[in-house]
Amino acid sequence: MSARARIDSMRPKRPGSTRTAPPRMPDLYPTRGRYLPYIAFGSVGLLLMLVGFGILRSVWVLGEHDPAAWRAHLSAYRHPAYIVFHLFAMLAIGWFGLRFFRLFPKTQPPKIGPLRSPPEPVLLAGLRTAFVIATALVAAVLGGAIG
Amino acid sequence: MKTLLLRLEPVIWPLFGAGMMVAALAYPGWLLVVGLAEPLGVLSPAALSYERALGLAAHPIGRLVLLLVIALPLWGGAHHVRHVAIDFGGIARDAWFGSLCYAVALAGSVLAALAVVRL
Repeated sequence: MSARARIDSMRPKRPGSTRTAPPRMPDLYPTRGRYLPYIAFGSVGLLLMLVGFGILRSVWVLGEHDPAAWRAHLSAYRHPAYIVFHLFAMLAIGWFGLRFFRLFPKTQPPKIGPLRSPPEPVLLAGLRTAFVIATALVAAVLGGAIG
Repeated sequence: MKTLLLRLEPVIWPLFGAGMMVAALAYPGWLLVVGLAEPLGVLSPAALSYERALGLAAHPIGRLVLLLVIALPLWGGAHHVRHVAIDFGGIARDAWFGSLCYAVALAGSVLAALAVVRL
């Protein structure tokens, strides 16, 4: 056992008659075993925010209606730091998405209204297919192949 | 503040779930093209020219898509960051840190709405 766990529910307002051992975090927490992907999955949230604000900046620059500002904005992305960050973010968010889709079917109730949830493998296959199609579609539209 | 966060939980959860879904579907493609292919010169210069980019973004569907693609993942990200902070730092600072995370997401959502309106 390693550090003390921080669990408020284990802190009663009045001491009970039964003494209990203080809760502790598991030995493997936070970087070993299954805890590492768990922490990494949550940490991708920061990347989602950074990329979201990056897209916001792009749209904001586009809204200035100045072609030179737009070209300068795109040119700034040629800096190696941006390229490394975008590559890392793409891989991390791709992994995040596939993990999210793997977890998603397990979170669904057996019935949604009158409809039964599809079997887990069917839902998972559908989500993975949607991931591939959506990624290809976004890339095709932005890349000029469509539209 | 803690009570307010608990009351807002039913509003934040759908935004969080939708944000994860939207980010997972849209961000890899965006990063591939705008963040990698264009800077590395793989893309035709016409693909992300000012005229084409503005045409795509200023279309009513483009505006709606951009608003959702920016705003929802901010909420998803904020919720994740809040819970990672709870995992590492405990619940004691959650009231102000959680509020800060959602305030950033809210500010970004408002700015996203402004950004798509001024296109």
